[in-house]
Amino acid sequence: MAYGLYIASFVGAIAMAMMLPRARRSGRGGGGGNGSAARFGMLLGAASLGGVWLWLSEQLLPAAESWGISRPAMVYYYIFSAIAIVAAVRVITHTKPVYSALWFVMVILASAGMFLLLDAEFMAAAMVIIYGGAILVTYVFVIMLASEPGEAGGPGSGGGIGIEIAPEYETVSREPIGACAAGFLLLAVLLSVAFSPIAPNPEAAGPTDAQLLTSVLTDRPAVRLSHITDDPRLAEVMSVNNIDNSERVGLDLFESHPLGLELAGVILLVSLVGAVIIARQQVPLNDPPTTSPTLPTSPEA
Amino acid sequence: MTTLAPWISWFPALAAVLCGVCCFKPTLRNYAAPICVIGIFAAFISSLLVINGMDTHGTLHATAFEWIVVGDFVANFSYFIDPLTMIMLMVVTGIGTLVAIYAAGYMRGDRGYARFFFGVSLFVFAMLTLVLADNLVLLYLGWEGVGLCSYLLIGYYYDKPSAVAAAKKAFIVNRIGDLGFAAGIFFCYTTFGTVTMSGDGGIIEQARGMLESGYPVSTATLWIPFLLMLGAFGKSAQLPLYVWLPDAMEGPTPVSALIHAATMVTAGVYMIARMLPVFELSPYALPTVACVGGATAIFAATIALCQYDIKRIYAYSTVSQLGYMFIGVGALSTAGGVFHLFTHAFFKALLFLTAGSVMHALAGQLDLRKMSGLRHKMPVTCWLMFVGCLALAGFPFLAGFYSKDMILAAALQQGLDGHNTMFVVLAIVGLVTALLTAYYTFRLWFRVFMGPEQFEMGEDHHGDDGDTGHDDAHGHAGENVGGPHEMPWLMNGPLVVLALGALLAGVLGQHWIVDNVSHSTAAPHVAHGAHGADHGDGHHGSLLFGMDLHLAMQLISGCIALLGILIAWYFHLQNRAAADRWATRLSGVVTLLENKWYVDEIYDAVIVSPLRALARGFWWIDDKIINGVVMVIAAIPPLLGRAAQPWQRGQLQGYGLTMAAGIAILAFLIIVSVL
Amino acid sequence: MIESMHAVTLGHFLMTGAILFVLGLIGFVTRRNLIIMFLCTEMMFQGVAITLIAFSKFHMNMSGQTFVIFLLTVAAAESAMALGLVVLLFRRKRSLDSQVWAQMAG
Repeated sequence: MAYGLYIASFVGAIAMAMMLPRARRSGRGGGGGNGSAARFGMLLGAASLGGVWLWLSEQLLPAAESWGISRPAMVYYYIFSAIAIVAAVRVITHTKPVYSALWFVMVILASAGMFLLLDAEFMAAAMVIIYGGAILVTYVFVIMLASEPGEAGGPGSGGGIGIEIAPEYETVSREPIGACAAGFLLLAVLLSVAFSPIAPNPEAAGPTDAQLLTSVLTDRPAVRLSHITDDPRLAEVMSVNNIDNSERVGLDLFESHPLGLELAGVILLVSLVGAVIIARQQVPLNDPPTTSPTLPTSPEA
Repeated sequence: MTTLAPWISWFPALAAVLCGVCCFKPTLRNYAAPICVIGIFAAFISSLLVINGMDTHGTLHATAFEWIVVGDFVANFSYFIDPLTMIMLMVVTGIGTLVAIYAAGYMRGDRGYARFFFGVSLFVFAMLTLVLADNLVLLYLGWEGVGLCSYLLIGYYYDKPSAVAAAKKAFIVNRIGDLGFAAGIFFCYTTFGTVTMSGDGGIIEQARGMLESGYPVSTATLWIPFLLMLGAFGKSAQLPLYVWLPDAMEGPTPVSALIHAATMVTAGVYMIARMLPVFELSPYALPTVACVGGATAIFAATIALCQYDIKRIYAYSTVSQLGYMFIGVGALSTAGGVFHLFTHAFFKALLFLTAGSVMHALAGQLDLRKMSGLRHKMPVTCWLMFVGCLALAGFPFLAGFYSKDMILAAALQQGLDGHNTMFVVLAIVGLVTALLTAYYTFRLWFRVFMGPEQFEMGEDHHGDDGDTGHDDAHGHAGENVGGPHEMPWLMNGPLVVLALGALLAGVLGQHWIVDNVSHSTAAPHVAHGAHGADHGDGHHGSLLFGMDLHLAMQLISGCIALLGILIAWYFHLQNRAAADRWATRLSGVVTLLENKWYVDEIYDAVIVSPLRALARGFWWIDDKIINGVVMVIAAIPPLLGRAAQPWQRGQLQGYGLTMAAGIAILAFLIIVSVL
Repeated sequence: MIESMHAVTLGHFLMTGAILFVLGLIGFVTRRNLIIMFLCTEMMFQGVAITLIAFSKFHMNMSGQTFVIFLLTVAAAESAMALGLVVLLFRRKRSLDSQVWAQMAG
């Protein structure tokens, strides 16, 4: 089994290396990589991934059924996973930063779907809202702020939108072969670990719903939302024994990691202040680029 | 008031701390002198109170705090006061107070005013620690402390190369002696199993026990006194380690008076007196001490004959007088030795301080040939120094007269009673030295104060007078232009007290000292049959010219002192031309003496030069061979670094790739080895 | 009640997480645009998040999901700082090229 993963990793590395933007390219932008090689790389990568999956699905599908995960659910896994991986490849191969960012949103959405498969509804929502909503918007703003007027067709236009010639640093990646070799070697190792036989640790399992209801959530109303619905089925779903995912996350967060929560708050505050101070530093825009950086002035300056 | 005992030495320590603070604030600088004087005077008063509160001839143990306790080894800040300590306490704090008062005027306007008093306070603290110490380790601490202060104060004018060189010389020469002293302490511990001196089971008690039960001669007890002696010779400037003391006169004059005449240099005498039973354990130790003392006494006196620098004359005189003290201690007359220590402290401090006044008045002039007839300009100083000179010369009924002849009588007694020719020779040497002493002392005095009035001002190399930034009470900055002048009473007052001491200490102090010493650890324990006379207890041994030895000695030495003074009078007042004629006639001897027997040159040739050559050889080995090897080894990392330099491209991503590849390979290796 | 899942199923999710992680790594190392570099670190975070949640499901323990919350926090903080720095660097050299910053070259 391990050899199959190694072969797939090797092929995937070659595919990735071919897909990455290279120095030798024609005038066409936006294609990622250089024409036919990139397309061949895509095929190769798809083949290696598909091969692995085909090979694995023989084991997966019966196993999943026997363990209570339905066959359609595993089909969704293949779909989301394929979307995530393809989008990730596009993130790192696209030569326009804005498109990279948008492809990254795709990665987020696909992995949010996978979270749903894993019964992590709260995390799926949080991921979409925070990553897709907040962080990515910041990235897009910065991409627009930090555009190069000379090469990007005028100061008004965004870095990746409506340009004719992408700057050289977008289209030429550095050391793609070495990076792919190292990365896929690491991947091979990770995969050989990922598929090693492992049993769930029963001691690590969290408390059951009944336990929680009797120990922690004693004040929880037995029936929620019954006043807003007359549908007995809905009321049954929402009642008693079903403690939903966000409740469980909240319990774990506040019961087991209160200090971590506080520290996370402090980290956010510090980064807020730090980002403000860093971004306030003024560099005279008319200065020619200096080869040796001057020391940053004090924040108050 | 004996509860004050542990605190005596801490008053000057506190003063030192405060003076140290004053060093940093120019506005506080002038407070340093009063602080220092008060600190030392407080120690004096508290010593008096403690002594007053003690029984006559009593002893007192007091512990300030625990210091070193390692297993059985105990060395605390514990103090021991016995009659011998009392004498030393009086000398150190009393003379210290007077000198500090004098220095308050003498050092006025100097840049390092506060620093000077810091040094003096610290010195008194260290000296009191030395004197009061109940164990050898604490004594050693004080011993090294006074050495340090001596070093600091000799090098007080640190911008003067000669002062710095003198300070280093003093420090290094003392190290030679201290090495012996330290070794002696180690052997004491291994032999006696303790470093505590007094009390039950102390070293002195044990040594006395050994003496009483006969001589259990062991190698250690034979050698311990010689090792301790080495330390004493270094500190008290005896042959062959005396060379540092004359050079130590580079320090300010009050320092010379206090440290290098009255107190520190007598520490060796004190230590031998304190440890006398230990010295008695070795049959050769005390005779050696006496011989070295006698040789030093006459040797230094001959050098003093032909020197022209006032302070150096007194320095050699100090060396010579210390030699006397060692003769006294070596002749088992610790009372005589300590008595001479006591009187010498008065008159030598007086002499140094009056010399300082002369120097002060003449803007640093110290050369005997460039001054004459100053008696009209400085009448008080003149007559104060006259008293000091008489006392030093051993003029009848002054301080030096009693103490000196006590030592000489004791030596003669040892020689005659014990049929020991060596001590007879020592007594004669002592008498000759007394003649020389009287001569060179009055040669100086007649030259400086008598005769036609003429002088050359010095170059004021001590910088204390030329400082125009201060408005002095007696305004000597202006007066110096017009010539020498009398000192203010701030400076002359202490001198008067010292002069009274020089006049009366002999008459009044003799009984007290002898009584005290005979009831301290310094009392000799050799069977009294042959050596009792020096206790003044009425026992009479041999007779000389049909008289008691003491009386005979007093007559002889009195005559000799007069003779010496007369010779000096003739050659240096009455007929100075004759002195010059004799000097040319004996030019070989004079040159030899002016150059101090070429001892420095001999040391240089015999010890310093070979050492330097050896050091140069080692330096060559170190520089070329050891350093070469080190440099070759040190050259390897840069070479490796230069080989790896191209990899350091300064690009974040390059480092990231290297890191990722490293982790990947490492993880791969681990997985391969596990699976 | 959350159902447990089989190790093979876990392996699939871990595989997706690992692929995202490695792709992010490769992107970080090869892409020369500073913004994309940091975007790639976010992708590495994403791979880790999938892994954590898969383990959370596998062991039926909520700590995995809680850790993803912390991960999100750190990612947000990091992106805020990193983007601030990117803006600053861009102002200095008028370029987003990471190759421009090579003052530490030996």
